[in-house]
Amino acid sequence: MSAANSDALKDLLYRLADDQLILGHRNSEWNGLGPILEEDIAFSSMAQDKLGHSLQLYLLLQGLGEAEPDTVAFTRNAPQFHCAQLVELPIGEYDFSLIRHFLFDTAELLRFELLSQSSYEPLAQVARKLKGELKYHVLHANTWIKQLGSSTEEAIDRLQGSLNFAMPYALGLFEKTGYEEALIAEGIFVGEDELKAGWIEKITVILAQTSLELPDLTTLTPVYGGRAGQHTEHLQPLLDEMAEVFRVDPTAEW
Amino acid sequence: MNSLDPRITRLGLPDAPPPPPDKLALDQFETYEAFHQKKEGTAYAYVGPVHAPSADVAFLFAKEQYSRRFACTGMWVVPTTSVHLSPYADDNASVYDELPAAEQTGNASTAEQQEEALYTAGDEDYDIFHLKKRGKAHVHVGRVRATSPAAALQVAKAVFGDQRPVVNVWVVRSADVLRSDDEDRDIWLTTPEKKYRDAMAYRVQDKIERFKQEQKNAPQV
Repeated sequence: MSAANSDALKDLLYRLADDQLILGHRNSEWNGLGPILEEDIAFSSMAQDKLGHSLQLYLLLQGLGEAEPDTVAFTRNAPQFHCAQLVELPIGEYDFSLIRHFLFDTAELLRFELLSQSSYEPLAQVARKLKGELKYHVLHANTWIKQLGSSTEEAIDRLQGSLNFAMPYALGLFEKTGYEEALIAEGIFVGEDELKAGWIEKITVILAQTSLELPDLTTLTPVYGGRAGQHTEHLQPLLDEMAEVFRVDPTAEW
Repeated sequence: MNSLDPRITRLGLPDAPPPPPDKLALDQFETYEAFHQKKEGTAYAYVGPVHAPSADVAFLFAKEQYSRRFACTGMWVVPTTSVHLSPYADDNASVYDELPAAEQTGNASTAEQQEEALYTAGDEDYDIFHLKKRGKAHVHVGRVRATSPAAALQVAKAVFGDQRPVVNVWVVRSADVLRSDDEDRDIWLTTPEKKYRDAMAYRVQDKIERFKQEQKNAPQV
């Protein structure tokens, strides 16, 4: 692999890993506070899966010469993170967390299905391994969206409000970076446009089974910037809290 | 409310929460019973209950409760109200011995003809689960066709009656079972490197002992 490709690959891996790490941490904030016990366990469990996914991706980065996963996860500041802004937003109320889970994981499952065909075999292998868990995350999201999205007026209103709010951020998941062409040309990833098209199809099918309406995407301006290190004011406090214990003694063995 | 847990502080809860509103007497979810398949090709066995607003959600919860720590390859959930119980027999005995003999259906001579006759009669499939020993789990033994749970138990006696011991039988209309999809088998393949999920993985006792020893050996200030 040429040096240029290696840069493109690292850029892609950081985006993937940071999304998983930050949303995993965000969703873990529901631990002990979930709406009902079983759902609390389910949501926390999936949050833990996401941390596990980010670890697999940071290990790939380590293989490409980056620092070890703990260092990468706990010592960078917000401008060095490549996650989309969607994942760093506070958990809000459960309707928002559920909508974000639905929008993000639908995209993530498709992304990893596509990556399982990647020309970069180590990534393809990780993608194949994580696909099953992501499939379950999507099953979980779809089940709740269908259940609540066609239940009471309050549930529908809340979900619709969160959907409208989250959608521009969700479109930001598909922000391209300067390496987009290189990644496509090398067969590492088919590209954000193809992913986005598949994603719109999937969420449309699920929303059609509810009383929720997909906002008119042509009128929305995607919230970009996250991939380039531009973040909301919510990310740095999250990072400080996440790394609080680690930073007490970075050399400690856990 | 101020808490040492920053998440709680962020919720901006009042110091003294208002008393919860009066609830209707029965506002709980239904309960569902979950069965799992431990390994490819083995019989489904009962693992426990969950409570949920619908079968779909019960399936999610069952997956969380009963497949996170102990992997499985498939799962079924059934509303508790759909599980029909036979009487209980003593250990080493069989429930079937206490039932009257099953009636023959028509003049059909072979099992195949009998089954066909039942299908034409518009009967339904029932899943049969046996409990071999009190305290163990009910295990799926097979499926029969019948017009009602009681009739299914009779058919089961004809088909599975020679098995023993059978302390108790569960009869479930097959249509009431929500089953995991074969094409979704990969949802059960969770990544094995998850030691960090288990308290066992954090071996701290040695470190604690060492720390205590150091404290003891340290010169008193």
